[in-house]
This record gives sequence, C-alpha cells and structure tokens, in this order.
Amino acid sequence: MGTTASHLDKEALSEYQVNVLHKLLKKKSCAHRKFRELQNKEERSNTTSRVPMERINELPELKSNPFKERICHVFSTSENKDGSLTFEDFLDLLSAFSDSATLEIKSHYAFRIFDFDDDGTLDYDDLKKLVNCLTGESEDTRLNDDEMKQLITNILEESDIDKDGTVNLSEFQHVISRSPDFVSSFKIVL
Amino acid sequence: MLLFMLLNVCTVGGSYFTQIELNMMTKSSDVVKNDIKNNLNPFNIFKTHKTSPLTLGLYSWNFGGGVQSYFLFLKFLVILNFVSFLLIGGFVLIPSIVFNSLGEPPKLESSGNCTIYEPNPQGLVVFYEYFLHLLSGTGFIEYSYMFYGYYDNTVVEDSSFSYNIPVAYLSTAVFYFAFCEYLLISRMGKATRVAVTTGGSDVSNYSLIVFTGWDFGCLGGKATKLKQRNIYYRLQVDLEEERLKKHAASLTMCKKVTLYSLRVLSFFVALGLVAAACYSIFEATKFSQDNSDKEGILGLIYEYLPSIVITAGNFLVPLLCDQLALLEKYSPSSTVIVALLRAVILRLASLCILLFTLWDQITCKGNQNDDECNECHYNYQEYPCWETRVGQEMYKLTLFDLLVNIALLVLVEFPRRMVVDNTSCKLSQWVGRQEFVVPSNVLGLVYGQTVVWTGALFCPLLPLLNTAKFVILFYCKKITLFYNCRPALRTFRSTSSSFFFLAVLLFGWIIALVVMIYSVAVMHPSQACGPFRSFDNMWQIVPNSTYYLPDVTKEFIFFIGSQAFSVPLSALSCVVMCYVIALASIHGRSVVMLKAQLKLVCLSFFFIYNQMFNSFSCLMQPICYP
Repeated sequence: MGTTASHLDKEALSEYQVNVLHKLLKKKSCAHRKFRELQNKEERSNTTSRVPMERINELPELKSNPFKERICHVFSTSENKDGSLTFEDFLDLLSAFSDSATLEIKSHYAFRIFDFDDDGTLDYDDLKKLVNCLTGESEDTRLNDDEMKQLITNILEESDIDKDGTVNLSEFQHVISRSPDFVSSFKIVL
Repeated sequence: MLLFMLLNVCTVGGSYFTQIELNMMTKSSDVVKNDIKNNLNPFNIFKTHKTSPLTLGLYSWNFGGGVQSYFLFLKFLVILNFVSFLLIGGFVLIPSIVFNSLGEPPKLESSGNCTIYEPNPQGLVVFYEYFLHLLSGTGFIEYSYMFYGYYDNTVVEDSSFSYNIPVAYLSTAVFYFAFCEYLLISRMGKATRVAVTTGGSDVSNYSLIVFTGWDFGCLGGKATKLKQRNIYYRLQVDLEEERLKKHAASLTMCKKVTLYSLRVLSFFVALGLVAAACYSIFEATKFSQDNSDKEGILGLIYEYLPSIVITAGNFLVPLLCDQLALLEKYSPSSTVIVALLRAVILRLASLCILLFTLWDQITCKGNQNDDECNECHYNYQEYPCWETRVGQEMYKLTLFDLLVNIALLVLVEFPRRMVVDNTSCKLSQWVGRQEFVVPSNVLGLVYGQTVVWTGALFCPLLPLLNTAKFVILFYCKKITLFYNCRPALRTFRSTSSSFFFLAVLLFGWIIALVVMIYSVAVMHPSQACGPFRSFDNMWQIVPNSTYYLPDVTKEFIFFIGSQAFSVPLSALSCVVMCYVIALASIHGRSVVMLKAQLKLVCLSFFFIYNQMFNSFSCLMQPICYP
C-alpha cells in the first residue's frame, strides 16, 4: 500500500514537474520570439548578439515606463555600459519581473533600478531623480525645490534607520516589506 | 427625446466596450478575460466582494481606492436589502397571500366612524392615471401588498398549524432591524480592526508612496501620465497638509483668535442654512399633505413636493457650505471631514423634519383632546389609514431618488461629456468632464437606506424596491464612471472613510429604530386598516399572544421583561463593553510598541553589520556590481 502510494506520488509529482517545465519552456519561447523580433537579420544568426537599448525601449511594455533606461542598465552585462541586452539578460529581466520572482529578488532589483548613480545607496540626488520620474517630467507635474526638499527629508526621516543620510538595501527592503501590493505592482508581463 | 435616449443607449453600448478594453490594456490577457466576464455578468451583483476583486480592482486602478469602497458599500447594501426582503416575504407576504387566497378576509367591523377606509377610486380610471398612481403610491398600489393597509389581522388556528399574521408582522420588523444591526456592527468591527492594526491612515507614509507607488504593469502613455499625475497630487496633498499644520502651530495669538472666530461664525451660518432648509421642508410637507387630493400632473407635483424640496436642499446647502469652507482654512483632510459632517446632518435632519411634520399632522401635534383627534386618537378625517400614508411618503422618497439619479445621468452627465469632448472652447475645457465624487455618492446611499429602514414597517415591499433600485444604480454609476467621468486627480482616502460611512449608516439605523419604537409603542394604529386595527398600540399584540403559551414559557418571558433581569443584564453588558474597550486599546498600544521594537532591532542589526563590514569588506558584500 505504502509503495503504491509513493509510486503514485512520484507519478503525480513528475507530471507536475512536466507541467511546470512545459510552462517555463512556453514562456521562454514566447520571450525568444519577442527578442528575435527586436533583432535584425545579421544579429539573429549570432547567439550572443546584443540588442541596443533603444530597440528594447520600443517594446510596448517598456515604451512609456519612466524607468526604461534604468531597467536596461541594471540588466545589461555589456562592458561599455550602454544598456544593450543579450538574450540571457532579457530572460533575467523577464524572470525578475515575473510572478515567480520572490519579494527579495524584486526588492533587490527595484533598489538597483532606483539607484541612479549605481553607488549602492539611495542618496539625495537618487531620491530626487526617482520622485521626478514618478511625478512626470513636464513642468506642471514637477514638485518645486522646497516641496522636493521637504519630501526627501521626510523620506529619509522615515526610512533611514542608521541616519547616514542615505537609504541602503536593507532599509529599502524594510520599507518594501510593509507594502502588500509591491509584488503585484513590480510586474511586467509580455 | 426618446430618440436621444435610444441614441445614448446605443452609443453607450458601443463605446462602453471599447472603453473597458482601453482601460484593461494594462492588464495581462488572463486578467482581462476575467474582468470582462465579471463585468458583463448581470448577476455578479450577488457575489460577495470577496469573489470578484478583479472587477473592483479595475475601478481602484483607474479611479482610486475611494471609488472601489463606494461600489463595495453598494454591493453590501444590495445584499442586505435582498436578504431582508426574503425575510419579510417569507414570514409576512407569502402567508398573507396564501391566507387571502384560501379564505375570505375578515370583514371590517363598521363600529363607529373610525373604521371606514376606501382607497380604491370609484368609477372609470383613465389609463395614464395608472402611471400617476404608480409614481405616487396611490390608487391601485395603495390597497395592495405594497403597503401596511392591505394586510389583515388574520389569525389561523388549526389543530396542527397556527399562524398569527399581526405577531408575524411585528416580529419580522423587529428581527429585520436586529439583523441589519448585526451586519452593520460586524462590518464596522472589521473596519475598526484594520484601522487599529495599521495605526490609522493619518500617518502619510512618504517612503511607501515613493518606493512602492509605481505600477510597472502600466501600459500606454495615457495610463502612465494618469498614474504620474495621481502620485503627484497625492504627494502634494500630503506635503500641503504638513505645511498647514506647521503654519497653524506658528500663528500669532491675534491671528489665531481671528481664525477661530471666523470658524465659529461660519459654524453658525452653516447651522442657519440647515435650519432654513428644514423649515422649507416643514412647510412643503404641510402644503403637500393639505393638497393631497388634487388630480393629474399638478397633483403628482404636490405629492412629490417634500421629495423635491429635500433633494434641492441636499444639493444647494452643501454648495453654499463649500464656499464657507474657503474662509475656514482647515487642512484638506479636515475640510473634507467637515463638509461630510455637514452634508450628513443636513440629510438626516431633513428626513427627521419630514417625519416630525407627518407626526404633527397625524396626531394633531400630540394633543389627543383636539377636535380632529378626539374620536379615533389620530386625525381620522385626513388619515383614515395613517401607516399607509407614511409608507407612501417613504416610497415616494425612494422612487424620486432613483428618478433623479437616472435623470442626472441622462440629462446632465452624458451631454456634459459630449459637449466637453466635441467642443474646444475655453469654457468647456475649464468645466471639464465630470469627476466621480465619492463622499456625496456614498451619503446618497446612506440616506436611501435610512429611508427604507424608516419605511419598512409601513411598506413591507420597500426592501425589494430598494434592492431593484440599488441594482439599477450600480449599473448606472458604472456606466457613468467609465463613460463620462475623468479619473479624479485627488483620490479619496478609503480606509478611514469606510468606517465613517458605516458610522453614519448606523446613526441612520438608530433614527429608524426610534421611529419604529415610537410607532409600535406609542402611536395608536389605524382602526380602519392593517393587522393591528383592533389594538391600542402595536406592541399590545405581544402580551396578548403570550396568554396562549404554556405556563413555564409565560413565566420565563415575563421574567425576561421584568426589572429583576434587565438591570443585571445591562450591568453585565457594561462590564463586557469596558473589557472589550480595554482590550482594543491594549492591542493598539502593543502595535505601536512592536513597531518601535522593530526599529530598534533593525538599528542593532545595522550596527553589527557595519562592524562586520568594516572588518571583512568585500567578502560580506552580497551584491557585486558589474
């Protein structure tokens, strides 16, 4: 009885695994199709070719996202820091923004996206650029300097626990953990 | 006019779908399919809000959380009304129908002048008069299951089965009130729990807005711009409130005195406006009751005069109070709360005045020795069946509310959208599209429900009518939201407000309860109609029917009603209440303490982490930047 039960479990388990693998393959092939659309003819033959940032940013999911350049820079592995992505980088991007990524992964990547100067902490200028991205670049939706100063002072007061004037990754993750919607809002689906 | 309405409906149908599609573009295809299924299912209304968060998520994503709370509230009220109707239908309506069809109704004992009641008009009735009668609750509707007057004091006593309609009527009304109270309190409890655990929503958390405010699933330039403007206004409002608080704290004594005296003055002005509205309602009700025998369209207008005046007052007085609010210089959230309170007081006061005027007329100002009220203990000449008349007033209020909402939708909101979209003159751009104002809409719902509660004793089918009304309102508001309204730039804080709206609804329930208790215990029921025609007051049926119960039950019931039981019971409930209040405050305090402890733990963690980092720099670094 015991062996048959575990045998059944194994079968059911492997069927589940096959389903998961099937879904992953489907997702990967969908991503591959999208990536190939972005590449031109010569690049398609080369498996390690990079697609420049401008073409990635033409994807409808990223087109009007104010963080599109930062997203490309964060996931890009190119030496000359031009934001170009290989297929592996593209897959990393999609997996970080997918349903299956955990809160830790998403908050880690969100922190890197918001860190405009790539120094590992969010200081005054990073926060200023972040708020400007959030509210829009046009003149009538920008906060003026006083409001910006007041806002960033408040943010640092709330989230900077070690009082060094910057928000590091752990402080950022502490703030994120209090929001129930973060996982569902940090999502891009192709 | 008809063609215009038809055209509206067609265009609505056509562009409603495209609008939904446009708005859903940002969600993935599975979510979109689910949303369409939920949106187009007309019986979605009967699912509880737990099973269709996606439909409501659509509202909140586009229009803010306040709109979502409005539609959730509306769904709650629909379910409440429908279940109430099932209760009334099962225990009062269906037995009445069955007994009426099986046996003859008991003949009206014509003993004295107080027992003649002839609601049916004699002779031929013109066809359009049926429509007028439907709108005013008179004629064929008056003597029907809709109103109190049609029900009989049937008591069926068989060997195996007995049913007492008057007792059933009264106990159903009492149980209906208790059931509504239970639902309301349990919902308020949930809202309070949320408020206590999250420490209230006054604490505007800037870092949360900035770090988690952006939705990466936003598709399209329009949606992105909307989200950006939303965040901008949210931040601006919070910053402005903080600045106003600092400014208020730094005012000189002289300026403070002027500000406070201005506030006191505007309080009295607002009170004066409310009093003026109440007085005009009083006069309108008296005029309407005096001229209730007019025929035709003019008669209909006279019948609806109280409703018209109430609606006009509910529209004008808040507008004027908004102008007053400019003088008062409260912070934005306080301004909203003060405006809401004023609107609530106005609506409930207008309903109370209407009821008071009716009481005044029915009981000759409470003076039983007056000429008109001497014989029958109520004004028999004007009100042979006063309960039906009160029920008719509530019926008219409910119907008028629905008609006004539909009329506003068709005659104001659609044309406004068409004018704003198709003309490019400065005036139309300045006026802009309609904004969905959540607070006034919710107050409308609360007011409508209070009217239904007040009228349920006199008009048993009113909960059914209200269910239908709220279902129609749901779809009308949904259409107007997606088709006519622009998303509100200033979104409404929904967490604290849901508790406030439930509190106002509870207050409306208390008013309706007072009316019911007074009618049941003090007022003399009509002798010409209704199930209580032979009693001095409605409550009398209860002691009378206990005489037929076995002795033990009688003793038990008398004991429960006596002081020996009720005084210890109230003392015990006070003790339980104190215990629960203490528990709630302890939980609130422990939440605050836990938050402080969490901060302390983080601090100590960072201290240790920094020490370790300084000693072993690159080995401990979790992230290696390229």
